[in-house]
Amino acid sequence: MKEKNIQDNANSVPLQGLGVNFPLGVRGGSPIKNITYDALVIGAGIAGGEAALNLANTGYKVLVVEKDLSVGGKMIMLSKVFPTLDCSACITTPKVSEISRHPNITIFTESEVNNIHRVSEVEFVATVRRRPRYVHVEDCTSCQLCEKACPVSVTDEYQYGLIGRKAAFIPFSICSPKAAAIDIENCTLCGACEKVCPTNCIDFTMQPEEMTLHVHTVIVATGFNMFDPKKMPRYGFGEYKNVITALQMERELAPTRPFNTILRPGDGKMPDKIAYVLCVGSRDASVGNPICSQICCMYSIKQAQLLMGALPMADVTIYYINIRSFGKGFEEFYQQAKGMGVNFVKGKIGRIKAKENGNLILRYEDINEGRLRESEHDMVVLANGVLPNDEVNNIFGKEKLKLDQFNFVGQTDMLASPARTSMEGVFVAGTATGPMDIPDSILSAGAASAEAISYLIQKTV
Amino acid sequence: MKDKNIQDNANSVPLQGLGVNSPSGVGGQAEKGKTAKYLREQLGEIPEQAKDNLKEFNRVKKTLLEALKEGELTVTQIADKVNMPAHEVMFYLMSLVKYGFVKTGAIDDMDEYFTYKLSN
Repeated sequence: MKEKNIQDNANSVPLQGLGVNFPLGVRGGSPIKNITYDALVIGAGIAGGEAALNLANTGYKVLVVEKDLSVGGKMIMLSKVFPTLDCSACITTPKVSEISRHPNITIFTESEVNNIHRVSEVEFVATVRRRPRYVHVEDCTSCQLCEKACPVSVTDEYQYGLIGRKAAFIPFSICSPKAAAIDIENCTLCGACEKVCPTNCIDFTMQPEEMTLHVHTVIVATGFNMFDPKKMPRYGFGEYKNVITALQMERELAPTRPFNTILRPGDGKMPDKIAYVLCVGSRDASVGNPICSQICCMYSIKQAQLLMGALPMADVTIYYINIRSFGKGFEEFYQQAKGMGVNFVKGKIGRIKAKENGNLILRYEDINEGRLRESEHDMVVLANGVLPNDEVNNIFGKEKLKLDQFNFVGQTDMLASPARTSMEGVFVAGTATGPMDIPDSILSAGAASAEAISYLIQKTV
Repeated sequence: MKDKNIQDNANSVPLQGLGVNSPSGVGGQAEKGKTAKYLREQLGEIPEQAKDNLKEFNRVKKTLLEALKEGELTVTQIADKVNMPAHEVMFYLMSLVKYGFVKTGAIDDMDEYFTYKLSN
């Protein structure tokens, strides 16, 4: 169907055992030039993955570029999803597997798009830089022997700093591609990993590669960043170890959790009085983010329900300004949490202080009663908000991709064509356009892929 | 990249964050399974931060494993015994659980703190 302008994947080989397609030459360290894909999807989270799948299923050749070691984005790291409480990994993993094995999809992990410029009405040239993983993915059996042999321990970013990991490591148990990687910044080059590797897949001679690729259309699915609560010192995040973020609690609740159960990172105590503080770094012009994050009410309610299941004796209190349960099934989910005994307090937190025993005193304005109050909890979870990911802002060179007033990717016709951007042939999917939940991200990705397919049909046939 | 000997590339790119050219162009060779040695030789020395981090981990690991030799302890008990902040003990101890050196014991009578013990 699209063969006219497309160099087929004749130049690619499926990775042994993984079914992931990587172009020949990438492993050889030489830059690949003049390979043409129908679509470039930047970001392999749930939105980028969905958009890539839709395009690939329609017969188009898609290149997915992901900066992380694994596809799956933030969703693959979640415990469960709201409002159904379905296992997040159970939803994400089959989709990730489908993306990884699809014959029309080529994935570059550990890679970033440095530059995209238009060379004709229907063609862009993209420069992609790929960082070395120091492991030949196609040969790695993920036996973890390198991990066991590695003497180095550093903070595990995939467990949001709650625990350590080795310098030779598999990012997380359901990562894709499921292969080891070497953290070269922290590696002491002792060679222990190489000695035990049964397939000799570790290779410290790997080097960064820069590839120049031709694409007809681009889908920006670069997702979002979480607000850093250290920017609001009054909440004590970083200073008080029992104040954690919602993503850290997400890991504590996940089956692949860092601890054996829910524990305070400050001293290992099993908490029985947990507070959630909503709107941390969102709906707050004083920190430069006046908009609602749209997800923090619901993910806090979800976590509260999961906590009540994991710690049946625990008291969970949610301090909120407004509960925004706007989506399908959200209000029922909120009422369900109330019915389970989650305590909702309409209150704005002014300050958090720690006691000597690690417990935390929350000083807050009781909005309903108009009074200042204090309450003691032994763990606090900050429901931090959503910020734009600005990594994509400058990659289009002279032809600037317009952003909206909050620095998310601008939608030129938000009502009629929400996936269109200021650049013809460049579409946007998921939370790159603004805060949204998982179903909306997938819908947005569907819209972006439909627009991209329509564009490809009109322009390239 | 599976070749036994990897020849240097005259146009080689510096390794990320290390400022080293690899694979070596003229003269340098890296035998399969011994590429760490090759890179070590190219670098001349290991970055100080990586060495310091390894030293610190080994020091704390030794301290915590010594503390647990006499029996099961909670995080706060270990912290008191080795005079370390409890959150640091928690981080390193949980890492040692993950790496298989330590395992989780029983929870105390108040259902508050688990004890931890040596794996073997």
